[in-house]
Amino acid sequence: MGSRQITEKSLSMLRSLPRISLGNIRDNPNCKKNPKRGRAQHGGDKHGAGNKGSGQRQNFMRLGYETGNNPFYLRVPQEHYYRGQHLRREYPPLSLHQLQNMIDKDRLDVNQPIDIASIVRSGIYNFFPDLKQFGVNLTDEGADIFVAKVNIEVQWASEQVIAAIEKNGGVITTAYYDPHSLLLLKNPKKFFESGQAIPRRMIPPPDAIEFYTSAKTRGYLADPEEISKERLKLSQKYGYSLPNIEKESNYEMLCEKKDPRQIFYGLEPGWVVNLKDECILKPKDQELLQFYNS
Amino acid sequence: MSLCIRSKFIRPNLIGSLFRYSTTQIEPVEQIDPVVADDEDILAKEAAIEAKRNISRLTPDHRNIVNGRRPYEEPKHIAHLTVKYNRKMYGKYGVASGVNPSICFPSKKDIEERLEYESVAYPFTIKQMIEMAEKRRKEQEQKIQQRDREVAAKFAKLEQWKKDLLDKVAKKAAEASAAKEKKERLVEEVRRHFGFKLDPRDERFQEMLAKREKEQKKLEKQARKEAKEKVMIAKLQQKNVELGDTKK
Repeated sequence: MGSRQITEKSLSMLRSLPRISLGNIRDNPNCKKNPKRGRAQHGGDKHGAGNKGSGQRQNFMRLGYETGNNPFYLRVPQEHYYRGQHLRREYPPLSLHQLQNMIDKDRLDVNQPIDIASIVRSGIYNFFPDLKQFGVNLTDEGADIFVAKVNIEVQWASEQVIAAIEKNGGVITTAYYDPHSLLLLKNPKKFFESGQAIPRRMIPPPDAIEFYTSAKTRGYLADPEEISKERLKLSQKYGYSLPNIEKESNYEMLCEKKDPRQIFYGLEPGWVVNLKDECILKPKDQELLQFYNS
Repeated sequence: MSLCIRSKFIRPNLIGSLFRYSTTQIEPVEQIDPVVADDEDILAKEAAIEAKRNISRLTPDHRNIVNGRRPYEEPKHIAHLTVKYNRKMYGKYGVASGVNPSICFPSKKDIEERLEYESVAYPFTIKQMIEMAEKRRKEQEQKIQQRDREVAAKFAKLEQWKKDLLDKVAKKAAEASAAKEKKERLVEEVRRHFGFKLDPRDERFQEMLAKREKEQKKLEKQARKEAKEKVMIAKLQQKNVELGDTKK
């Protein structure tokens, strides 16, 4: 009888008690740390830093140091796949999908030739010439859905990308810019405000000359006749009909190409652009003209 | 009377408009040179008002920058005398900066230096670089082809080499087995000679074995000699035949 009464009582108690929630449960034992460290007889001993040595003195050794052992990270002396890594050119990627996205959102104007300056101005893409980044590598991601007809100039492109652009009746050129020209293209306003004459674009280095003179990669130094042949070849290889751009209404825009020494569209080397007065100063001195035309 | 004092602070034309129609006699305000003095006065007053309006507490140079003017008219630092600074002033503030824009173009010395730098930094023309790249490519291809040819030649011989090796191994094994057999035979013969099972380490056994071996060697030597003689005779005979042929 007694036990039954106890059961009844405890059940009625349970019924009247609130449900368990985060508000009425106790913390786990020892889960709270005292923010203050003890200073007394037992609390103030070593504070977990140990006795003697760099632990107690809290002068932590440099990362990877093994107190006199030959460190692990130096035990294998070289990693050859990184040889010359600090000298290699980097081309940060931009996919065709992103390019289409920029065009669809009106961040890029397809009625004008697109170059790295306009790509950077779109605000989607950025790069750092001082980190040995040499411009856009247009990648083939989204090549299937790319429909824009553009005249684009990039710094690196694969065969698939070239095919995807030429299939739509567009024109693609791969062009080299030296790091200084890239700085100007990245922020033209800053350069124009410095009041200097626009410099000439420099020639590519010996290890990139093959790419930029090859018609297969649509290099800016390649023979235009060769390029038109390669366009046809590529269309046959990928099995699409090559649109005749000569009959297009914007044929002139599609044909627009920079001079190998030119950095900005419509601006020649040697000119000074003043944004405040909205004027362009052109040199007349023969020596200057000779220098800038060389 | 108080009007006279006020006239200092209020502009004369205002006074004229406000107090033109009055019933009382006004004391005549003294007339000063109407054109020049008035203009100067007005300008000074406008300036004073402008000064009062400027409550920004900016320094004059900062105020100039904020209002789109070049900060200093006269140079205040050694850097303000440099070409770079002056170009910047022209680039930023245009003709209003008062800088001669011809400074924006490089001087003869600049051009010379630039050309010298380029001759070092870009020693090859594009044509030269293309030729070099072509040459390098050709060399690489040749190297690969050379290696391919070597491998192909070696591969053609591979089967022969495999056969040779296997033959060699088989020959060695055969020789080893023959030697072993011979030895066994000898031991068996010795054993038979004694007529009972004898420990091979026994002295007598060893003696007998040596003797047998000697005999065997002798026999072999003789056989070899005979074979040699046979060969010699055959040779001589052939020679004779040849001689006979030539004689005929």
